[in-house]
Amino acid sequence: MATTTTYTEHELVSLLKRRDNKAFGYLYDNYSGALYSIILQILGDVELANDVLQEVFINIWRKIESYDHTKGRLFTWMLNIARNASIDTLRSKTYQNDRKNQPMPGPADENMNTQAAQMNIDNIGFRKVLGQLREDQRVLIELAYFKGYTHEEIANLQQIPLGTVKTRIRNALIQLRGYLK
Amino acid sequence: MNIQEYISSGIVESYVLGLAGEGERAEFEQLCLQYPELVEARTAFEETLEKFALANTIVLPENLRYRFLEAIDSSPSINQSSKVITMENSQKPVRRTNWLAVAAVILLIGCAYFAYQFYSQSEELKKTNKELQSRLDSTDNILNQIVAEQKVFKDSNVTVVNMVGTQIAPRSSANVYWDSASSSVYLVVKNMPKLPSDQQYQLWALIDGKPKDLGVFDAEQEKLILKMNNTQKAEAFAITIEKKGGNPSPTLEKMQSMGKMRQ
Repeated sequence: MATTTTYTEHELVSLLKRRDNKAFGYLYDNYSGALYSIILQILGDVELANDVLQEVFINIWRKIESYDHTKGRLFTWMLNIARNASIDTLRSKTYQNDRKNQPMPGPADENMNTQAAQMNIDNIGFRKVLGQLREDQRVLIELAYFKGYTHEEIANLQQIPLGTVKTRIRNALIQLRGYLK
Repeated sequence: MNIQEYISSGIVESYVLGLAGEGERAEFEQLCLQYPELVEARTAFEETLEKFALANTIVLPENLRYRFLEAIDSSPSINQSSKVITMENSQKPVRRTNWLAVAAVILLIGCAYFAYQFYSQSEELKKTNKELQSRLDSTDNILNQIVAEQKVFKDSNVTVVNMVGTQIAPRSSANVYWDSASSSVYLVVKNMPKLPSDQQYQLWALIDGKPKDLGVFDAEQEKLILKMNNTQKAEAFAITIEKKGGNPSPTLEKMQSMGKMRQ
């Protein structure tokens, strides 16, 4: 956070849309930590999170034209890009893990100790307040927000009606909101 | 619709966190256009979320920043695969303008450099030209003088009187050129000893045994030929040493040289 410049959200967005590299540097310096946190909370793997963060910022850079401020703040937009990218990676990682006993192809990876790359994510970011929810609510948020399941998928998975899933998730979110303050 | 009930239903949080379904999203965005209080509620939750997220960041590896900045520096390759057409369109003119600007700046610098070169060259030429002109002027002057002096020697009316040193100054010598037609008198100093600064030589014409002042001169002269005062008649010429500026009558004991007309 070496940058001394500060922008209003409006200034920042118009600079970003003009592809101002300095503004992107500012964006990175100020928001990468927060986005890295949500990515880690979803993936729990430092190596993967590093790659996803990189991908997320490149996506922000590529898609900034499509950002519409009438639909929400810039951070909300970026947070959703980060969450979606992480969930996409999580799904392809689950696929890879199914074949994980096969020898690694290609050049030897530098992370010999993959275990060290795994991180205890229970106490970072939103997960920190997740523990304050009731167990059944916590599971629903875990599935919906951190695993990216749709309400229908959760209803099938948990064997509960779709309407109940929706209501419980909304109630859990309202409670979580209180914990964020 | 009871908007307050809608706001407190959890839809705001669900929408912002990206958990709302397709239909819910569309409905929420539509209602935002109608109800400013819904937008307010959304913004309030977004700010809460952002504040919390920014207060709970993870310090990330420093090298990641460079990877990102490097990536956007080599942006053309990233943009080629873009799905958003408007972005490609808006991207390309920007790059083109940049190249144009770069070329323009280089051209401008080049022009400025050459303009400066030509300007200083022309200034130098002007200066040299002026110098040459002034040298030419002074050379012309000198030449005109020499030509005028030459004329004196050639003129058939001119009588040359050889002045020889007297006993007190045996080595003094000078020539007097007397033009009887115009009465002009010229003097060529050949060898006259240097005098103290308060003294000068004075030339006299002797007419019927009486001296007539023809003017003063110094031992060392820049000019080859000195124009002295005119005289219509002269039997002889004499040079004496007098005080600076001359005397009305000669100090004869200081007579340096004398020459008689050969008539």
